[in-house]
Amino acid sequence: MPENTKAAVLSEDGRTYAPHEAVIEASRCLMCEDPPCNTGCPASVDVRRFIRKIRFGNFRGAVRLIREANIMVGVCGRVCPQEMLCMEHCTRAQLDTPIDIAGLQRFAGDVELAGLAPVPEPAARRDARVAVIGAGPAGLGAAAELAKAGVGVTIFEKANAPGGVLTHGIPPFRLDPSFATDEFSYVERLGVKTKYGVSADPATLLADGFDAVFVGIGLGKPYTIGLDGENLTGVHIAGELLARVAAGETPSLGTDVVVIGGGNVAMDAAMTALRLGAANVHLCSLESHEEMPAFRSEIEEVQSEGVVFHPRTMPVRILGENGNVSGYEGIGIRWKTPGVLVPANAEQIPGTEFGLKADSVIEAIGTGVLDRFDGVETDQRGVIKVDEDTMQTSMDRVFAGGDIANGGATAVLAYGEGKRAAGAIIAMLDRESGKGGGA
Amino acid sequence: MKKPNLAVDFCGVRFPNPFVLAAAPPTDDAEMIARGFEAGWAGAVVKTLGLEHVEVNLVSPMMVGLDYEDKKLVALQNIDLISDRDIREVLPEVRELKKSYPDRIVIVSIMASTEAEWKEITRRVQEAGADMIECSFSCPHGMPERGMGSAVGQNAELTYERAKWVAEAAEIPVLIKLTPNVTDMRPVAEKVKEAGAEGVTAINTVKGLIGFDLDTMAPIPSVEGYSTEGGISGPAIKPIALRFVADVARDVGIPVAGVGGVVTWKDAVEFLLAGAGIVEVCTAVMRYGYDIIEELNEGLLLYLEDKGLTSPMDLVGKGLPKIVGHGELSRDSKVLAAVDEDTCIGCGACVIACRDGGHQAIEFAGPDAGEDARIPKVDDEKCIGCGFCRTVCPVDGCLTMQPRDEKVTA
Repeated sequence: MPENTKAAVLSEDGRTYAPHEAVIEASRCLMCEDPPCNTGCPASVDVRRFIRKIRFGNFRGAVRLIREANIMVGVCGRVCPQEMLCMEHCTRAQLDTPIDIAGLQRFAGDVELAGLAPVPEPAARRDARVAVIGAGPAGLGAAAELAKAGVGVTIFEKANAPGGVLTHGIPPFRLDPSFATDEFSYVERLGVKTKYGVSADPATLLADGFDAVFVGIGLGKPYTIGLDGENLTGVHIAGELLARVAAGETPSLGTDVVVIGGGNVAMDAAMTALRLGAANVHLCSLESHEEMPAFRSEIEEVQSEGVVFHPRTMPVRILGENGNVSGYEGIGIRWKTPGVLVPANAEQIPGTEFGLKADSVIEAIGTGVLDRFDGVETDQRGVIKVDEDTMQTSMDRVFAGGDIANGGATAVLAYGEGKRAAGAIIAMLDRESGKGGGA
Repeated sequence: MKKPNLAVDFCGVRFPNPFVLAAAPPTDDAEMIARGFEAGWAGAVVKTLGLEHVEVNLVSPMMVGLDYEDKKLVALQNIDLISDRDIREVLPEVRELKKSYPDRIVIVSIMASTEAEWKEITRRVQEAGADMIECSFSCPHGMPERGMGSAVGQNAELTYERAKWVAEAAEIPVLIKLTPNVTDMRPVAEKVKEAGAEGVTAINTVKGLIGFDLDTMAPIPSVEGYSTEGGISGPAIKPIALRFVADVARDVGIPVAGVGGVVTWKDAVEFLLAGAGIVEVCTAVMRYGYDIIEELNEGLLLYLEDKGLTSPMDLVGKGLPKIVGHGELSRDSKVLAAVDEDTCIGCGACVIACRDGGHQAIEFAGPDAGEDARIPKVDDEKCIGCGFCRTVCPVDGCLTMQPRDEKVTA
């Protein structure tokens, strides 16, 4: 059990490679022809090349190469589900184990943190101005790409700091929040202007003279279940709890903690509960082990830390004493229609009721759309509809990417979508200024 | 079948197995050698001794390794000298060692200058009870500047003269340790034979310059900012050593103690096949400890069993008849690269190797092949059978070279 101190809760797990260890790992790379790892990266990082750079002792070249494709070198080295992306395609896996691409990228990021790599040079300026709403991964991807093409970019962020979900949604033991801030400074060095504590709206920004707007605001509204007992003291919404911990708080959750949910946020909440001093953490999910949407690596980590899983169950009520949580009741379920993993499709199995002692209950059942914009078409949930190739929304000159456009996925996918939108915006600007072959 | 016995006869001396600690730091005192003997080494060449009046002034640091990617110590450079211990202290130790380990072979390495000195040191080593003498005519650094070491081994006449002095004075077998820092070792080895010495030890270290410190831009190992060329040992020099051992064993016909880059029993078997009668080891012992004798002995024993042989002596020189001049090699048959599609993992290392290092004869099957898109296809018309692709394939036995006539094309 880690010591329940701020330092213990806030410090990152694991450690980066020492230089010679990084070279050893990079030397395992088969340096494939037409490398399959490269096809797995949503941010289009040239994996083989950056590994070769590490292998042959060109560490700063490695950072520079990754940074060109993805400014979040250190962040993605830590939070990318690489076993589902580049590492899933690694040819070496057919021999023994895939190259630890995540670890090598993390190493590369740390090389730069040591202050060795140069700041990239911004390209020649254009007259165009683009507004980016949201300073999370999607916004970063769009802003960096636009700035490199010489476009004047202003980021409007509602919060008072950059990073979005990276700074408030990921537990500090997984990602030191200072990382996102440090890496964000690169877009500022590329000349991107930032405005914090500002709510912005695409139509207004266009009226103010921006040539295009990119919306990358994420989701932001955690769902709640609506259970009996949900108002008791000791019931937490995972997103809010993680944000408090990320901000440096160490709330006390008591000895027995129940987490409801089967996604990555639920896993993060369970691990955070352990680090905050809980002795017994139970995780109750509608999904079976195999059905849980969380990354396999996170599920395995949570299991290895001793969290007790209650798969294919749903909550019945939260019990209380004197206004505080005292217990949790759940019941086993089966799916009415197999494969449809939503609460409405869950059928309770009589006789499978169970009770758990609880000092806290953390709800981690997903996040919905918080902000909507007039004139931008969305689906029922509020997720913005986009053209997948250009990330163009229904509103002229307005583009969107990241969770608000894909319904919620990974930071690196959001980054990649930001890049894709930037590419489309640049193409649009080129067309209008007569560049790009007069198309 | 008769169980193999590792014992070998070399220059009339019986060794319990063919493995001997080379003259180097691991043999600088009796306590160390005793530990080597306890671990199982058949013999030891006591680190080179000079007479008591010879000043040995060591520098430090004197060693630096060469790393390659994940491998530490692919080669080692040393600028060490002969032992700085007093011969009057060491020789009584030799006597005690022989008393404690009568079945083990104690060889003493010596270096001297004049005829009188060579003869005196030979006599004294003999009186101490050594089984054999090894004369260092081969150290490439420090000693040549004083007219010793490889300055002798590079000169057939000087070698003859000194080998003769020692052979005349010695009643025990004499080995002359030669330097690879020559274009051809055979003329020198001929002179060793002519002088009456019993055998040759090959090779001493290869003269080299292991590298520079990129911060200071000065050579390493740095002795107060300066360095000097030194002797390279370790796995990197094995091919050079095998070549000299084979040359001397085949063309001179004198017993050879093989040394240079031996780490495993497989390396040792290769030295025997090249004609070495015993095998000396140093750098690998310094790195991994005396215990590696266990793998050398066990590996060799199992290999002999597998081959139905009973003695390492059955291997000595067995590979030599197949080493011929380039012009004598057959031009009649050609081989072609062949990929085993079942074990191929589709990395394409062979594609790159053939494209940029060969004849553009290998390409991926491509998208039309569906699941097999990443299986390399060999264009038999373009393939010249060079074999480079086989050297880069990471899967054992996946990429092979097959005779053109027999190649099975999928």
